[in-house]
Amino acid sequence: MHKVWLIAQREYLERVRTRAFLISTILIPVMMGAFVFGSFYLDKKSATTPQHVALVSADAPFALDLQQMLDADREAHILSDVISPPGPDTRPTLEHMLDDHGLDGYLWIDRLPSGELQFVYTPATSSPTVNGPVLAVLSTNVRTLLLRRGLIARGLGEGDVDGLTQPVRIDHGHHRPRSSLGAAFALFFLMYMVVVLYGMNVARSIIEEKTSRVFEVLLSTIRPEEMMAGKILGVGSVGLTQVGIWMLAVAALAATPFAHAAASGDMALTIGPAQVVFFVLYFIFGFLLYSSMAAALGAMTNSEQELQQLNMFLVMPLGFCMLMIPVVMNAPNSFWSRVVSLIPFCSPLLMNFRVSLSMPQPWEIGLSFVLMAVTILIVIWLASRIYRVGVLMYGKRPTVHEIMRWVKYS
Amino acid sequence: MSIVALHHVRKVYDTKVAVDDMSFTIGPGMMFGLLGPNGSGKTSTIRMMIGITVPDSGTVELFGAPFDRRALSRVGYLPEERGLYKKMKVVDQLVFLGQMHGLDAATASRRAHAWCERLQILESVQKRTEDLSKGMQQKIQFISTLLHEPELIIMDEPFSGLDPVNASLLQDTLEELRNQGRSILFSTHRMDQVERMCDQICLIHNSKLVLSGSMRDIKSRYPVNRVQVVFQGDDAFLAHAAVASVKRHNEHAEIVLRPSADNAGDAQQLLAFALAHGTRILRFELTEPTLEEIFIETVGTDHADFDTQSRMHRVVDGAAHA
Repeated sequence: MHKVWLIAQREYLERVRTRAFLISTILIPVMMGAFVFGSFYLDKKSATTPQHVALVSADAPFALDLQQMLDADREAHILSDVISPPGPDTRPTLEHMLDDHGLDGYLWIDRLPSGELQFVYTPATSSPTVNGPVLAVLSTNVRTLLLRRGLIARGLGEGDVDGLTQPVRIDHGHHRPRSSLGAAFALFFLMYMVVVLYGMNVARSIIEEKTSRVFEVLLSTIRPEEMMAGKILGVGSVGLTQVGIWMLAVAALAATPFAHAAASGDMALTIGPAQVVFFVLYFIFGFLLYSSMAAALGAMTNSEQELQQLNMFLVMPLGFCMLMIPVVMNAPNSFWSRVVSLIPFCSPLLMNFRVSLSMPQPWEIGLSFVLMAVTILIVIWLASRIYRVGVLMYGKRPTVHEIMRWVKYS
Repeated sequence: MSIVALHHVRKVYDTKVAVDDMSFTIGPGMMFGLLGPNGSGKTSTIRMMIGITVPDSGTVELFGAPFDRRALSRVGYLPEERGLYKKMKVVDQLVFLGQMHGLDAATASRRAHAWCERLQILESVQKRTEDLSKGMQQKIQFISTLLHEPELIIMDEPFSGLDPVNASLLQDTLEELRNQGRSILFSTHRMDQVERMCDQICLIHNSKLVLSGSMRDIKSRYPVNRVQVVFQGDDAFLAHAAVASVKRHNEHAEIVLRPSADNAGDAQQLLAFALAHGTRILRFELTEPTLEEIFIETVGTDHADFDTQSRMHRVVDGAAHA
């Protein structure tokens, strides 16, 4: 055990002393901050860009009233033009404008022979995130307009109608969850980066010893399993140190007046103590899982280039987690969110993401740790067997068949 | 008590037999040479002695007891593939490797400095390993093997890649350690080195042991029938009846005498014949065969695929088999 400690200590000190550690400690939060806030900023900016919509109707007063209402609605962000009445070449002209991006969509209003009104909206894009809000605004305003007309037709005064159809504002500033979406994203990408970074560091460190042949001396003093354990501990501690530095930096920033300004609005980075604790716990488990996979990959390969080719085994599950972000974000407690966040390879990212969004049930968190622990034991067992044989193999890369034999070999 | 004992050790990698039925013992205070061409199984044999791999069958004993990893703290191992942490400072590296062998940091540091001084690299201890020359790195690795004062020193091809000055420095150091009572095993494919240094040898070829024992015993099994001659002038004596075969390099000839009950007498006659023909003899020495000759004789010339570093002694006409 003393020797495991020595290996870990060497690994730790040699890494913490490097310039790369210093640079990544500073650059990762900067990059991530730029990434998260940049995407939020762009998102907000594009959301406030008005949508240009044509309102086409044979009923000119109706179309004009609708236009007036859209202009009055400050949340609508819709710039509208009225075409009334439509001619035979109106539709081709509008279609042409859609293709040229001169127009974001047009609403065609027809009165059917039955007397019923028909509304058809043709958007320029198929993106639901663009069309959804436009459709919502349009249908709300059309309904209000119809309601107003109906009420006036039934003899109510304009003032009463205005009062009855006043839009309702629902304030949604007070989140029940203990952190904002910004913080959840920040923690998600931070986790992704540190797990990938330090997982790869374990693999790289093994390859370094393989190419420099140092491990052969070490193997005469220590078992391969202990060597692997020492490496994972050492590199993992470097990761924890780095995360620790970031946490302290955040805490220090939080004490400044600047933080107060940042901690308001949608982009607020409010992180509660629970988030920090779970982040550290999920980092430890996630790191153990991915670094033991990386250790096996490192033991199988002879160079960084070869490692790059096998990289996908590490990155694929993490990429899957990325794809699952919308699923979890839209409904953190849905069945599928629960399922994907319990997959051991995804828990460090997705369960932790759910912790930030809305705290999952305690049994879910408990189960995720149990599943991860079991998976880690299995992966470490497999990895140490591959490692034990693999570190002594130089030259060609093993085939899957050979790796299977290494696992069985004792 | 034997320091190392192998009993019928066998190791197979996939379908290749790396070591087959290998048995030998190394006594205390012995310089033991493990000899054989490249790929004959030397490294595989050594790796089983230090528990990096496990024999498929047969047993390995260290210090008179069945193999136990704890005994490895008494062993110093220099692998054939040299390697150090490139980015680490020399002194940190040595202290780390010393600690891995069970020393405390202070002792490791003190001994590291003492050894560096002895091997004339003290001025480099604060440098990063990658900034040193290859020969210096070899010395550092050599030191790392000895820091914990092992009773058994195992070195796989310790002299390969060293210049003659450093090679002899390390040879002297090893002989000194042997004289202090340490047991030393080293492997080499260069037989000429072993002749001078080893007390005991073991020749392996194609995974099998072909010859082992003390240098003196092995040599005494072979007749003293080689004559090394340096001469000037008439070379008619090379065709003398007592000569079985000759290998000639300019004025230097290596003669193998015909089998005879009295090789020394034949040699005398040969010398008298040469002098009678007016040949100037600068050197005339009657010797036993060299280890390389013995090896080639034992395994047959076809298989003697030594490294180019090795001096090849091919015997003309294949007469050595006579």
